[in-house]
Amino acid sequence: MKINSLLKIGIASALALSATFLASAEVVVIVHPSNAAALDGTTIKRIYLGKSTTYSTGNEAIVINQVPDSTSRQAFDSEVLGRSTSQISAYWSKQVFTGKGIPPKEVQDDSAVISLISNNKDAIGYVDKTAVTGAVKVVPVN
Amino acid sequence: MKTKLSIAILSALACTTASAAVKVNGFANIVGGLTSSDEQVYGYDDRVSFSEGSLFAIQVIGDINDKMTATGQIVARGANDYDPDFEWAYLTYRPNDKLSISAGRLRLPLFNYSSSSDIGYSYHWIEAPQAVYAVPFNNLDGLSLNYASFAGDWEYNLSASVGTYEGETDSTPTTGENVFLLSAEAIYDIFKIRLVTGASKTSFPFDQSGNPGFVAAGQALDALAAAGFANLADGLRLEDDTGTFTGLSLQLDNFNWFVSGEYTEVDVEDAFSSTDIAYYVTAGIRTGKWTPSITYERAEGEITTRFDAQIQALADLSPQLAGFASGLVNSVGEDVDVWSATLRYDYDTNIALKVDLTRHSDDILGNDVTLLRFGANYVF
Repeated sequence: MKINSLLKIGIASALALSATFLASAEVVVIVHPSNAAALDGTTIKRIYLGKSTTYSTGNEAIVINQVPDSTSRQAFDSEVLGRSTSQISAYWSKQVFTGKGIPPKEVQDDSAVISLISNNKDAIGYVDKTAVTGAVKVVPVN
Repeated sequence: MKTKLSIAILSALACTTASAAVKVNGFANIVGGLTSSDEQVYGYDDRVSFSEGSLFAIQVIGDINDKMTATGQIVARGANDYDPDFEWAYLTYRPNDKLSISAGRLRLPLFNYSSSSDIGYSYHWIEAPQAVYAVPFNNLDGLSLNYASFAGDWEYNLSASVGTYEGETDSTPTTGENVFLLSAEAIYDIFKIRLVTGASKTSFPFDQSGNPGFVAAGQALDALAAAGFANLADGLRLEDDTGTFTGLSLQLDNFNWFVSGEYTEVDVEDAFSSTDIAYYVTAGIRTGKWTPSITYERAEGEITTRFDAQIQALADLSPQLAGFASGLVNSVGEDVDVWSATLRYDYDTNIALKVDLTRHSDDILGNDVTLLRFGANYVF
């Protein structure tokens, strides 16, 4: 009886923990520390949807995406772009076949994004908040 | 022979992918369908057919330099026995972010979904609404200028196209010369509006038709001209006549639900053909991997009255020729209503499965046909 209750409490806390964990899976947009471009939610959206290809500074934006399976990608698509990952894929298939654009390069995970951005002054990407290091600069989205 | 050539070009292009300057993508639609009766609609009848709506396509984009690309799209359509055809082949020059100029064979931007109408994966239907999208020509040989920019929170796109087209309607070659088309679209958040207008010198030569009815019509027009009614005969003929196209599209899409509609009008100034008005309204919701939607389409071909007085005058002299002339004018009327319910399921990030039930009512033929279609769309 007691064991059973303990088990229940255990499961409940595990569920609560995972819920907290999911809610805190917050993505942040990052650029190279030297990137002085003015970036807000609208600009980031335009850059990620291929509607703008340059920063406010005139430099060409090198856009880094993550693979569709990545949790950061799914969070970024829904929170920043406002669409599901499959809708974004549909959007890009349309852009590609209508000759309007080519989707951004996809990398495996947050650490690949960090390493690319820390080595490229024109790169832009996103990672989970907890993955941010001093080698990159966080851009406020809103 | 043609197939071998296409494959050779394709392999030549594929070989250069190593240079990383060439991108190869493709898409496929595998669609099966059958009707509930022996009446035909969109080429389907009461036996399952996989050829009408299926296609395979490969697109190759090569970078020529920073500002120029070459695009080729080879499409093999089931309706055409999967014979591969270079439907698009053009060069694009992009001097900056906003402007692009393309030259070659490209998609004529008549409709909201023109450029993606073959890519089933990119929309919720099993096929773009045929009442509006089934036009005899889709591709232009010519030039197109595009300008895209922002004004505050609005995003807009302007395009101008000029060139010629070739197509086929009712087994009859249909050509357009001096084609020009202007389109403007504006997008604000979930709202999109698109306006388009254009004109061309259109020809639909009866004597080159594969349809015996039109060949006979051509011969009757010759007889009409020989009997001294060259004016009426030339009027009825669709040769080098100015055709106009006008369209409006409105769309609301917040990615959880969408409502959109498109209205088009096609008219040829001085010919036997009808004034064609077509529109559709569609709405659906996206819930997880599922997208249920409904669509209503209507096509009206209003028969022309511009020859009524001349035909009336002719009736007194030759009832037979007058009967033929009014028969020709009346033959092209259209009155079609279509209701469809479609369900899309996103099986994977690049594969969608669909099932569609369509009720097609033709008030002129006096028939109602129910069509069931199911299929898969793939992009890579």
